[in-house]
Amino acid sequence: MLDRNALKKHLPGVVAAAVLVLALLETAQALVSPFRAPSDNDWQRAAAAVRGGFKTGDLIVAAPAWADPVMRRHLGSLVTVAMAARLDDAAYGRVWELSQKGAGTQTRGQETFRKRFGNLTLRRIERTPAEIKFDFVQLWQQARVTRESAAGSVQCALAADRFACPDSGAHFVKPALLEFDFGMRMALFAPPVRGAAVVLQYDDVPLGRTLTVGAGLHHVWLRKAGQGDVTIEVLVAGQRVGRLTVNNRSAWQPKNFDTGAFAGQQQIVRFVITSSDPSSRHFGFAAEARQ
Amino acid sequence: MNATRLHKWTLALCLALLTVTWLLGTEGKQGVGRDEAQYMRAGEHYWGWFAELSDNIKAKRPGNSFTPGGIDRYWTDNAPDHPVIMKVLYGVSWRLFHAAEAPAGAGLHPVAPTQKQGTFPIFERPSTAFRLPAILFAGALAALVFFFACEFVPVWAAIGASILCIAQPHYFFHAPIACFDAPITTMAVAVGFAYWRSLRASHPWRWACAAGVLFGLAMGIKHNAWLMPIFLVMHYLWMRRHDLFRFRLPPVPLVFLAMLLLGPPIFFAHWPWLWPSPVERARTYVLRHLQHEHYNFEYLGKNWNNPPTDTDLKLLRASFPFVSTALTLPVTTMALAALGAAALLRRRKQEDGAFATEDVPMPGRSSWLRPGQDVTRAHAGFFLFQIIGPMCVLAVPASPIFGGVKHYMTAYPFIAILASVGLVWVAARVALVARANRLPKLVPLAPAGVVLLGCLPALAETQRSLPDGLSHYNWLAGGFAGGASVGMNRQFWGYSVLPMLDWMNANAPANSNTYWHDVLGDSLNMYMRDGRLRSGMGNTGVGEDAIRRSDLGIIIHERHMNLYEGVFWESYGTAQPVFVRTREGVPSVTAYRRPGAP
Repeated sequence: MLDRNALKKHLPGVVAAAVLVLALLETAQALVSPFRAPSDNDWQRAAAAVRGGFKTGDLIVAAPAWADPVMRRHLGSLVTVAMAARLDDAAYGRVWELSQKGAGTQTRGQETFRKRFGNLTLRRIERTPAEIKFDFVQLWQQARVTRESAAGSVQCALAADRFACPDSGAHFVKPALLEFDFGMRMALFAPPVRGAAVVLQYDDVPLGRTLTVGAGLHHVWLRKAGQGDVTIEVLVAGQRVGRLTVNNRSAWQPKNFDTGAFAGQQQIVRFVITSSDPSSRHFGFAAEARQ
Repeated sequence: MNATRLHKWTLALCLALLTVTWLLGTEGKQGVGRDEAQYMRAGEHYWGWFAELSDNIKAKRPGNSFTPGGIDRYWTDNAPDHPVIMKVLYGVSWRLFHAAEAPAGAGLHPVAPTQKQGTFPIFERPSTAFRLPAILFAGALAALVFFFACEFVPVWAAIGASILCIAQPHYFFHAPIACFDAPITTMAVAVGFAYWRSLRASHPWRWACAAGVLFGLAMGIKHNAWLMPIFLVMHYLWMRRHDLFRFRLPPVPLVFLAMLLLGPPIFFAHWPWLWPSPVERARTYVLRHLQHEHYNFEYLGKNWNNPPTDTDLKLLRASFPFVSTALTLPVTTMALAALGAAALLRRRKQEDGAFATEDVPMPGRSSWLRPGQDVTRAHAGFFLFQIIGPMCVLAVPASPIFGGVKHYMTAYPFIAILASVGLVWVAARVALVARANRLPKLVPLAPAGVVLLGCLPALAETQRSLPDGLSHYNWLAGGFAGGASVGMNRQFWGYSVLPMLDWMNANAPANSNTYWHDVLGDSLNMYMRDGRLRSGMGNTGVGEDAIRRSDLGIIIHERHMNLYEGVFWESYGTAQPVFVRTREGVPSVTAYRRPGAP
């Protein structure tokens, strides 16, 4: 057992020494840390390695996420807007991960390649990709869009790039690149309206075991201005399979709704969007039917 | 002046000069931020009023400059946002010290210049001439902190206090720029010092009146000054708490009367914009800040642009000044300050010869002239209120936090003084250990060695942070990269574009359709006047449509700005940037060029 008197006697000296050691270590890290960042050369060599093994359908990601612009600077010819603004990464069978400072992307799968390029680590992770049976954003023109209320149903007309709803020039549904939770997603812009539900109906959707839906509120300034929640209900053949409610705090977290009962069937899928306070709610969602 | 005083004044002057030299040597690499450029413009605008006044005096019609129209023609610039002492100094400094400006900047002045160069054209860039007063205020802070620290610690430790005060990356970022946050930090120390000396000095009325005048000047620099009396009164009541416990009214000290009587008149006298309608315009100014909108600011991975309403967010938001301090100050400085605080608190129970010994009740009764005569002056309480006070104001969830550390930076010099107490404590322990181990030769070296080691990390981190002080976070956070990973604010005001201006000059589209994002017109004007940006670069304006009109554009990386990156992808049809400006791997500015643009 440590002698209390000895502790009392020596503790101040130990604390003083610790502060001086701390000073030395902090100085050393201040001098060394700048050299621990990946150099342009590290990025170029790693990018060359990715290009050498890249196949169509591969995904490239950076970790930490803040390094994404640098990754796209070097590999942007392979990173399409669709890839950068994806719903999630489940559809990609091979993922190239460029990481630094021990960060990772939590990508699941088997690591089949790993190499260091200076201060960058390149990994390739392989797994079975999700089979996309129907992409509701890409095939947006197959939808029928209506506004439904107690007073009845109003059809929104299909135009070149959108569904334009009557009685309100500002209300429309269209595919767009939207900002949710400070990240970009290719999604369907489908803002709610007061006193009615906005309904998107797809008639012959080939279904698999899951229906993945991501939803959010677009535009940081409108999230500042508005307060209301927005709910999207997903119905298959008239049965509710899932429901998401988003608000100003919502992160982009796609949910997998179970459609196992309809797997292999062609069914009617309805997305019903409502909000009790729709002002400044630029709601959007992306969805895929997956095997 | 006796030898000791001369010695102190010489050291203070050296510290001030070193600070000014360091800042002048590095400010040119630090970009001109959005607000700074506005203050530069306003300063030059105000100079126009003085020039016109001079003309009017020569023409024997000086009254013309004092009519509402004559005043408002110049002084409405940047009103009611901020009072004008610093902006006037910036304008005067520019008028005196700028060399002939770059031809690209001709026609970009807020008022037509009457001469090609200043009276003493010593600065090649006009932006440096504008910045000089702020830099001199930082030099004054180095000296003031030294003098103030000498009240508590030996001279060698007071030198450490001065160094630790200046060598803080976020303070150092704000120190040279033509804004108000570093100058008001200087004034907080000046007012605090005068107050402290007024409690028990041989000529307390001088210090009390000085505090009143300094408080008035502080009000003419930035609205933080409104809070200064609150923290001082809190200390005063704490110092005289025994009166309160006995239901006895403490003496009303002269220093507070002086601040009350001298402060407001100086404030009203210094700002011509107030003169035509003092009450109404002063009200507008006060309301401007009491009802200030919440701009966007990233803290711990969340974007804050509204007062939080949920309890968990309120709690998280309340931690902002404390966590930000913990992640921005050099770690060793904080450790020394913690030791200093502990030493001061312990000192109440057990006198320690290492510290100033005069803080014991003096003979005689207290009075309004010497209200600290018969009580201890509560050193620890003084530092507590000066440090925790400003932080607590920013901890209120309803207060905007968009300026980050700068909003409570007035606390930092007092942390540095506390750290100097820590230096004394460590040096005393080192000396004891040396003696115990029969190394007496090391004993006299302990103070110098401890100051050197104690200040080294702060100096190294501050130098490392240049010119991106706002993106810098300390060892606890993990530096630039760690700060980004933790989700701390990376920058604001769009200042970080400066190092890539050469690239922009070389890659501008032939049609000049350039989108500058958060680098607004006044900053671009100043870069052109500095000769760092060529004319004809173009500026498509602000907002999402401005990106769609552009062929080359940049995005300044702040969390809430990600929206605009998507507009580039959509409009340019590519997610591949053509240039990314990084600091230790962390992107600060990204440039896109429309494929096929001329």
